Amino acid sequence: MANLGGAAGTIESVNNTDSGNVPLLEVSDVTVRFGGIIALDGLSFSIDQGAICGLIGPNGAGKTTMFNVVSRIYDPNEGTVSFQGRDLLAVPAHGIAHLGIARTFQNLALFPTMTLLENVMVGAHSQGSVGMWRAIARIGAARENRRIRDWSGDLLNQLGLGHLAHVPAAGLPFGTLKRLEIARALAARPRFLLMDEPAAGLTHSEVDELGDVVLRIRGDFDLTVLLVEHHMSMVMRISDKVVAMEFGRKISEGTPDQVRNDPKVIAAYLGAEA
Amino acid sequence: MLRIDEGSLRHWLIRVLGVVVVAFIVVWVPTQMSSSRIGQFTDAFILMIAAMSLNLVLGFTGQISIGHSAFFGIGGYTAAILIKDHGWSPGYTFYAAAVVAFVVGCVVALPALRIRGIYLALVTLAVAVLFPTLVRWKKLAWLTDGSKGIDSVRYEDVPVWPILGELKGREGRAVFMFWLGLIVVVVTYLVCRGIVKSRFGRALVAIRDNETAAAVMGVNLTTTKVLVFGVSAALCSLGGVLSTLKSGVITPDGQYVTLLGSIVFLLVMIVGGAGTLWGPIVGGLVYVWLDSTTRDIGTNDSGILGALFGWADQSPATLILGLVLVVIMFAAPYGLVGLAKRLGRKIVVIVPRPVGSSTSR
Repeated sequence: MANLGGAAGTIESVNNTDSGNVPLLEVSDVTVRFGGIIALDGLSFSIDQGAICGLIGPNGAGKTTMFNVVSRIYDPNEGTVSFQGRDLLAVPAHGIAHLGIARTFQNLALFPTMTLLENVMVGAHSQGSVGMWRAIARIGAARENRRIRDWSGDLLNQLGLGHLAHVPAAGLPFGTLKRLEIARALAARPRFLLMDEPAAGLTHSEVDELGDVVLRIRGDFDLTVLLVEHHMSMVMRISDKVVAMEFGRKISEGTPDQVRNDPKVIAAYLGAEA
Repeated sequence: MLRIDEGSLRHWLIRVLGVVVVAFIVVWVPTQMSSSRIGQFTDAFILMIAAMSLNLVLGFTGQISIGHSAFFGIGGYTAAILIKDHGWSPGYTFYAAAVVAFVVGCVVALPALRIRGIYLALVTLAVAVLFPTLVRWKKLAWLTDGSKGIDSVRYEDVPVWPILGELKGREGRAVFMFWLGLIVVVVTYLVCRGIVKSRFGRALVAIRDNETAAAVMGVNLTTTKVLVFGVSAALCSLGGVLSTLKSGVITPDGQYVTLLGSIVFLLVMIVGGAGTLWGPIVGGLVYVWLDSTTRDIGTNDSGILGALFGWADQSPATLILGLVLVVIMFAAPYGLVGLAKRLGRKIVVIVPRPVGSSTSR
């Protein structure tokens, strides 16, 4: 038994020393079927630590499905997803925040009755530990509240929303709420940020601004970003790597320039050339 | 309009003023009022406790429950059985009832993990309907005494609390029950406040507003819902214990033990203001006040109301109470506390401190 334990230990340590080369996220052969429809068909790709990876493709290509697999809303029928060498599919939906994965939603999934500050404070849920019993007994609750409130306030200030901190989220302009989603996601101190069409519904100038925000927070918070986006100019401008999809399959992968000039990608977007 | 900075001297003065007003009322009622009035306040306390507990589940977490009358009944029966059959001192039955109701509440929460909205309402409705039937069940008669219920479970002699002085007879008991009720109200309020103003409480509201997003933020939906149901049931049972100790009786169709009780709790919570800490407290006072004022209407045939309702065989109290509540709901859709907040903002605005670590104390 001692021998076995020792062997396991060595394997562990080998893995640890290698982890610098292990990609942050590795998706391999993921297939998702909804009834008879194949939404993802053996999709594989990986994202390196610190990269911004753009996931593009026409409507119905399976981008959001991929996204929901990584954020543990869908279970894939086949394939594996690993995050920092750990099997992500073994983690429950509420567990991914604790691993350092945060996401934003395409059509906004904010808490409308809460103020912006409270929204961001919920985003920091994984950064706290006070459960119901400690809340009732008031053990450490006040100190934790102060810490999370300050941290959330700082995030609002950084995203230029500090002056709206005490305003309920419901009814604010779309662009403001999109930024609130980013602030809320950052509150979890993620290593990996998934953004589902952050530019959708924004005006042109807002989209440019958003691209800068993504680049800035990547630097400030040491993030790796998976960006699902229709807005081609923004994806091409800020991504280190782009993965193009069509009908649930990967059709191209590489630098923005490589993907942009790939005939298969051009065909997918403009229709096949005769 | 007056603008006051959060945490400033004037803000503290307003808070102190609030505490003084509440404390004044609390001392004035049992020392200056008749024992029947004092009893009405205790009735209001009972409703406040039940409505506060319902508020945790429904107002803050958005999980509909029409089953709280069962938790109320569990509290009442636990107290009655322990006092009558096992000779417990009434005070300790509060703890026992809370534990029993907590466990039952956690079990009732299990459907809430899979279903929501109107379907959850139906399941909890079944709980409310089932409870009196279960209590009446012949095979449980050894424990619950069937339809007859359990009586004479009140305090034989009022315990002597030095601070209250000597309390004798009916009046003394009314005063004692008032203070006991007040303590339970304060404890319930502090439990709710502790929960709501914490990370756990924010998770509750997050579940109410958007379950999927809450889970993505790391909120464990299962344990959160189960725990909040459990603690809500436990608090509601305290109201049941208090009610049983006050009346000395509990029966399967007693006050608030049947489905009607759940509806009254719901009404009290909504009239006061769902999802606010003070809503159920205001709601309880208003409900008991309206209930006792409307009850006398139509009993003497003089005046406008006598002319209007004199034809009815029964007192129109329930009808009038219902109408008044509908009017309140129309004028204050977010409850009386919601209305008060909206009006109050026109007079005084508390300007919050700027956010962020640099401006923090």
